[in-house]
Order: sequence, then C-alpha cells, then structure tokens
Amino acid sequence: MNQARLRASPFFLEDEIMRRRKELMVGFLLILPALTVLVTLYVYPLVLSIYMSFVAQGRFSLANYLKVFEIYWRDIIYSVAISLVATAVTLGLSIGVSGYLRFKSWKFLEIMYKLPLFIPFLIVGHAMRVFLAPHGTLNNLLTRILRIEELPGLSRSWIGLVWAFVWVMTPYAALIVLGAFRSLDNAYIEAARNLGASRWKIVFDVLIPMCRPSIMVAFILTFVRTISSLTIPIMVGPASPNMITVNMMFRVNYFNDWGTANALGVISYLIVMVFAIYYLKFMAAERGGIKA
Amino acid sequence: MRKLCGVVVLIIAAVLLAQAGIPIKVTLTMMVAGDQNMVDFFQYEIAPEFEKLYPNVKVKVVGTGPGDAGSQQIIQQLQLEKDSGKDKWAIDLVVIHEAGAIWAIERGLIRQYTDFLTTRRLVTMKTAEVALGVNVNGYVMPMFHSQTAIAYNPRFVKNPPKSYAELVEWVKKNPKKFGYNGIKGGMSGVSFVFGWVYWKSKNPDVLMNGPFDEKYMEDWPQIYAELKEFNKYVTLTSGNAGTLDALNRGEIWMGPVWVDMFYTWIREGRMDPNIRLILPEPGMPGQPMYFAIPTKAANADYALKMIELVTSPAVHAKYIVDRFNWYPAIGIEYVSPYLSKEVFDRLYRDIKEEELLKFGKRMPIADYRTRMLEAYEKWVEK
Repeated sequence: MNQARLRASPFFLEDEIMRRRKELMVGFLLILPALTVLVTLYVYPLVLSIYMSFVAQGRFSLANYLKVFEIYWRDIIYSVAISLVATAVTLGLSIGVSGYLRFKSWKFLEIMYKLPLFIPFLIVGHAMRVFLAPHGTLNNLLTRILRIEELPGLSRSWIGLVWAFVWVMTPYAALIVLGAFRSLDNAYIEAARNLGASRWKIVFDVLIPMCRPSIMVAFILTFVRTISSLTIPIMVGPASPNMITVNMMFRVNYFNDWGTANALGVISYLIVMVFAIYYLKFMAAERGGIKA
Repeated sequence: MRKLCGVVVLIIAAVLLAQAGIPIKVTLTMMVAGDQNMVDFFQYEIAPEFEKLYPNVKVKVVGTGPGDAGSQQIIQQLQLEKDSGKDKWAIDLVVIHEAGAIWAIERGLIRQYTDFLTTRRLVTMKTAEVALGVNVNGYVMPMFHSQTAIAYNPRFVKNPPKSYAELVEWVKKNPKKFGYNGIKGGMSGVSFVFGWVYWKSKNPDVLMNGPFDEKYMEDWPQIYAELKEFNKYVTLTSGNAGTLDALNRGEIWMGPVWVDMFYTWIREGRMDPNIRLILPEPGMPGQPMYFAIPTKAANADYALKMIELVTSPAVHAKYIVDRFNWYPAIGIEYVSPYLSKEVFDRLYRDIKEEELLKFGKRMPIADYRTRMLEAYEKWVEK
C-alpha cells in the first residue's frame, strides 16, 4: 500500500502540474477577450500617440514639444486652471445638493439635478452659446428687468465656459456624492445630532470626511471629463486662450500635424496622471488605514 | 443530331450576346471632402438624378469631413489602394480641396481626364488650371466656387467700408461692432486673416502663386502687429455660424462670412434677409472644390458621366446655384438661361460678377498658408 502510494506520487505530482497548467490556460483564455480589447483599443493607441508625439518631419525629435511650449504653454496653464475652477464649483454645488437631499426629500430637486445627464454636450454647448450671448436669452431678460441698454455677454469668455462645464458636470458628481452620503450609516448622523450639531456642521464634520474617497472619485472624474471636452470649449469658450483639445483639433484639421497634436495629448495625459497617482496613493493609504 | 447541336449552340450564343447588352450592376463609390452639406448634396440631390439616368448604377457617397483634413483622408484611402497593387481601385470619384488635389497629383493617385469632358470648355475660372500655385490642368474639374465676403447690417451701417483700409477706420469709430471668428473656428475667419495679409503684404501675388521663400515673409511681424491692434476693436465670435448668429442678433454689425452659407441661411429663414454683402478691396479669398478620378478607378466611365451631369448648365443652375448658393464652376453666361431672375439677382445682387473676378482672391499657397496661421497663433493670440 505504502509502496504503491510512493510509486504513484510522481504521477500524482505530474498530474497536479498538468492540472495547474490547464487551469492557468483556462484562466488566460477567460481574460483573453477583455485583454484583447484593452490592448487594441487602449494600450496600442496610447503607445502609438506617445510615439507619434516624438516624430517630426519623419525623424525622431523633440520638435513637437518645443512647438507646444513655444505656442501653447499659456493654453496648457489655462486648461488646467479652467478645469480646476469648474471642478471646484461643481463639487461645491454637488455637495450642497447632496447635503440637502441627505436630510430632506424634495422630489423636484431630485429630478432637476439629474436632468442635464440626458442632454448631450453638443446641445449644451449650443444652448449655452445662445443663452449667454450678448443679445442672448439671459441678457434679453436682464436688460428688460434692469432697464440697461447693453450688457456684456458671458459666452466667449472664461466665465461662460466654466458656467457651461458646471452645468453638465454637476449631475455626475452629485450622483456619486449623494450615493456616498446616503450609504453612510444613520447612526453617525444621529450621534452628531444628539450632541447638538447643526445640519451644515454634520455635512462638513461627518459626511464629507467619511465620504472622502467618493468625493475624490467625483473630483477626478469631473476634472478628467472637463479637460478632455472639445465641443463645449469650441462652442462657448473664448477665441483665445484655448483649451488643449481645441488646439489639438486645430493642429490636425488645418495643418494635418499629428505630431504636435499628439504632443499636446501626451501633456494632457501627464496632467491627468498627476491626479490619478495622487488618487491611487490616497486610496491605498485609506485602505491601509481601515485595515489597521 | 448534328442539326440539333447546331441549333443549341446558336441559341446559347444568342443568349450570351443578349446578356452582354444588358448593363451590369455597378456601384459608383465616391468620397467627398467638405461639410455635411456637400454629402447631402450628392446623397439626396444628385444620386437620385443620376440613378434615374443610369438605372443600373447605385451611387454610394462617403463623406470624410471638412477642411484639408477631409481631403487628407481621401488621399490616404487612395494611397492604400495604390499600395495594395490592385488593378481596379474601389473608389471611382473623389471631391477634394485644392491642397488635396496637389497631394494626389504628386503621388500619382488621380488621372488626367478633363480632355474627355465636354463641360470643361465652359469653365471660365482660372482654378481649373492652377491650384495654390501648382499646375493641375487636366486632372481636375471645379465643382463650384465658394467665396468669402463681409456681411453688414444696413440698419446700423449706412455706408459700409469698401476696403480693408476703410474697415480699419470704421472699427475705431464703432468698436466691437465688427466680428470675426479668429482662425480656430472655421474658414471665414481664416479668409479674413489671409485677406488682411494680402492687403498689407508687398508681394500678395507671390503669396498666392509662389514661389515659396522666407524672404517674402519679412514684413509679416509688422502686418500681424497691426492685426493685433485691429483685434482690440473687434469682437471674436465662435465659428462661421457664430458670426452669422451674432449678425442676426445685432450684436455685431459687420463680419466675414461664406457667401453660400449666408444665402442658404437666408433661404431657410434663419437669417435677417436685409443683411447685405460686400467684397472689400483688395479682395478676400475663396476656393473651389474639385472633381477628380482616381488613377485606376474601376468605374471611371460612370464617374465621368457623373461629373458631366453635375457641371452641365441645367443641373448646375438648379442645384449648385439655386439650391446650395455656390458660385458656378462654369461661366455664368451658360448657367443664367436656366436661372430665374430672382435666383440670379440673389447671388449677384451685392457682389457683381466683375467684382468677384477682380476681388475674389485665391487661398495662399500651402507653405505660406501654414505659416500664416501659425504666425497668427504666435503673434496675435498672445
């Protein structure tokens, strides 16, 4: 019996290895479709765009980046600034809406804040440019109420641009934030209330600190979607300075210059990456904290 | 038996011969650069007409988008066909911009065909021979001419400035009432800038016809500095449509527009019909779109028939001039018999044909064009 087992064991081991291999193969086959999609639609274009950003006039060079810094450095700063301002206002608004809806139910607001979700960027861009134009809907109304002859229009200015961004981004951010606020156990809020905290104190001292990861997600998603938007800056933004995306389009459409367009693209990846890395680090710390 | 065999052979031969007479089904594939209105033009207006004439042909229209980028995509497709080494290419007819035509000729992607075209003899514009300073004679047939001009609202502007020089004076008296869309929102703004450079440059003809040499760019910094100064008194609008919108709302009183777009908006009731046009001295650029046939197009014969149809006076009058408000590619004297007086007056009310021939400039040659746009980015937008 013992001997038989000894004799069988090498075979057993081999079987085990075969079985493991087979499992690995199956596992690999299972992720293969997803992997293929990821590689062909994400990794390959990414690598290609980084590569193309270093090719100018058929040669490997830094010329595209030099051009970017010569012509577009101001636009890069402008894009980051606009995105940060728009994101900050968006977060402020969505925290306000979520804070309110966490305590009180108001069907009207519940529906209204989600409405812009279903309107495409292009339509928003066009609506805003008519609404905010010097003789647009808003100013026509204001001039009648205030009885002032001419008012400056907000479209084609950075304020109009931020306005339009906030309008489209707030529902997404508010959905995330409100979800987090609502999933928080009532016990915390009741405890704070028992100690006499006002509603806004609860929002700032309990809800926001405890939902920080979700708020961070909302922040990063809003920022990325803002800085990568093309339609709204084209339709509402000022003629100069421009967002990075507008310059990319210009480079491709007017000069057929994919090198500089890709260099601008790579710079926007880098900007987004700064936030992504911060977020990942933050999340890791957060998880570590919970474990400890 | 032998007799029977002979009869059978005869019958088969007769059937085969009869078959040869029946036209085979053909798909005419055309690629069209330009805005959506170009694609609509072929898809919904011309294709049905053509299919009525040649019932065995099905027209397939592929749009590649506006600007030289659209032409660039067509060139890439043709290059792929060429590289594949096939005898028959899948694209039969292309409609491209001037820059696209030059790229295609350089790479041997389109053929000489206009000798076989009867309507080629009706063309009066120079653009059939020269594009951006390059000889394209034989390779292209213009489809239409589109022109930029300055629109003004006579309610506010009684005596519109008749030249760039007068315009500069005018904006100082009426700050922010002239508007254009810079260079990133469409070609009407770009054309205004090109016109500005032509006006100020000592060698406008070199910029339009070549040759390219940096020494002709020496006066540019001064030219653009003055444009930057001019920009202080103007409003920057959003896009070709943005200028028209702002004119319509009375935010601006003058601004550069595409003539075809302007009249189409009026025809569709989207624009105040009282607004008028003027082509200022020394002129603003316009451009043609070209028909070209790929070197090894599978259905070149039908492509030729298509070009013949679109450029024939009757069809040209009905669609190019009346429906889409483009300037005709063939001489107006051939088209006007087919136009109602109302349509003719609409297109030539403000800008007479002689003015168009005198002040309708070409786009700058490709090398200057790129540098003019970049110069604007560097020196004016800062």
